[in-house]
Amino acid sequence: MDFSWTEEQQAFRKEVIRFAKQELNDDLIERDHEETFWAEGWKKCAQFGIQGLPVPVEYGGGGADILTTVCALEALGYSCRDNGLLFSINAHMWSSEIPLVSFGTAEQKKKYLPKLVNGDWIGVHAMTEPMSGSDAFSLKTRAERKGDKYVLNGSKTFITNAQLADMIIVFANLDPAKGAAGISAFIVDKGTPGFTISRKLHKMGLRTSPMAELAFVDCEVPVENLLGKEGAGQAIFTASMEWERICILASHLGVMQRLLETSASYATDRKQFGQPIGKFPAVATKIAEMDIRLEASRLLLYKAAWLKSQGKHPLREAAIAKVFASEACIKSALDAIQVHGGYGYMTEFQLERELRDAVSGTIYSGTSEVQKMIIAGLHGL
Amino acid sequence: MTQQVQSTKEQIREFVREAAQRKGVTDVTDTLSLVQSGVIDSLGIFRLVSFLEENCKVRIADEEIVGENFETIDDIERFVTTKLSK
Ligand SMILES: Cc1cc2nc3c(=O)[nH]c(=O)nc-3n(C[C@H](O)[C@H](O)[C@H](O)COP(=O)(O)OP(=O)(O)OC[C@H]3O[C@@H](n4cnc5c(N)ncnc54)[C@H](O)[C@@H]3O)c2cc1C
Repeated sequence: MDFSWTEEQQAFRKEVIRFAKQELNDDLIERDHEETFWAEGWKKCAQFGIQGLPVPVEYGGGGADILTTVCALEALGYSCRDNGLLFSINAHMWSSEIPLVSFGTAEQKKKYLPKLVNGDWIGVHAMTEPMSGSDAFSLKTRAERKGDKYVLNGSKTFITNAQLADMIIVFANLDPAKGAAGISAFIVDKGTPGFTISRKLHKMGLRTSPMAELAFVDCEVPVENLLGKEGAGQAIFTASMEWERICILASHLGVMQRLLETSASYATDRKQFGQPIGKFPAVATKIAEMDIRLEASRLLLYKAAWLKSQGKHPLREAAIAKVFASEACIKSALDAIQVHGGYGYMTEFQLERELRDAVSGTIYSGTSEVQKMIIAGLHGL
Repeated sequence: MTQQVQSTKEQIREFVREAAQRKGVTDVTDTLSLVQSGVIDSLGIFRLVSFLEENCKVRIADEEIVGENFETIDDIERFVTTKLSK
């Protein structure tokens, strides 16, 4: 058992922090308020190599192992306060790039991956529908084979990055009689007739990460845009969710570290009743609890990532890490606000946004309840 | 070898039987389509893969988690046996 990062990983971590602190924190309060995605920030991250981390070198990626990727994303979460931008990048990496890396044909990989890696293109993953969320495989979007095309009909909701999409991985059922075994994944390119952004969605947090509903009406997709085989949708979704559940909260670790440091520093500086508020046990305890949550989240997430790096499918560990780290981040954001008193509640202190951003962590990539069902299921329940 | 095949199949049968019981499916044969009959759902496939990795000592790549390998008990057994013999 070795809990240390290698020297290269430590150096990379420092480099990510330097990059993000210098380049990534412009006008955030305003962009959050206006729900503005920061295209320049996206491009800067791509140029630095973030989007390409888990993609093989031959497609322009960094070819990094999963632990190095987690290390970089944690550093990014620590030093870049634009959680929405990081969420958009994570969604792009885990649910567009990874399915292409694992299931794409050589042509598909060559066509899409280099552009997804270098920041020119943004990828989107469209599974959720108005009537199917947690029960993802009960989706109603249909695909029909007609000659050398598949025709898609249906709608999708809660789709991250939808308005920015250059390519969308859309899940649809080709053979409803087969149930979930009929689900297949199709790559829909920007501008394909029959595909529209039907409605922009407004969110409580992660407001700099765009989201919308999609509609597909007789949308014709060439057969070569099938991802994986017919009926492989379940496998593609399952595989990308596994990556996502392990990695998407790595940046939350960095957020929790930032919240901890900010709160400890404020508790030292802020004086009431003639002494630093951190001297009051009720405040000091909050700081200690923030640290405990951070450390436990780190260990759980690193372990899940390590198991994945060993070629295993860490179903249980990923579910535990996802539930724990997402809930820990919400609690720590609340504690950070409480430690800062009235100032913590004010927008200019940028803590209320951290809380709003953290809340959705217990919903996307499978809700906390679903993760607990997975865990309980492994105990025969 | 024969013994291993039998015990692998028995382990798979047992796992599937338990999963079926939870879904109220009683008539489980080696050729029953597990996804179509609802025995294996979106969470079940994760559990099955973990189970096989743990108990049958195989590594299953993402792209191998497809219908043809997991459709029926027979398919799962064939898939696992082929992997073990490599
Ligand atoms: C910020 C954000 C980004 C997202 N991005 C994407 C995206 O890019 N692409 C995409 O396809 N989807 C995306 N989603 C959708 C997301 O995957 C779903 O919201 C999620 O899976 C839950 O589905 P639902 O919202 O329909 O809730 P429901 O499934 O309706 O759940 C409602 C409540 O019931 C509970 N529940 C449901 N079933 C059970 C059960 N069996 N046992 C116990 N409790 C249960 C849930 O835990 C939840 O509390 C995103 C969501 C969010 C919030």
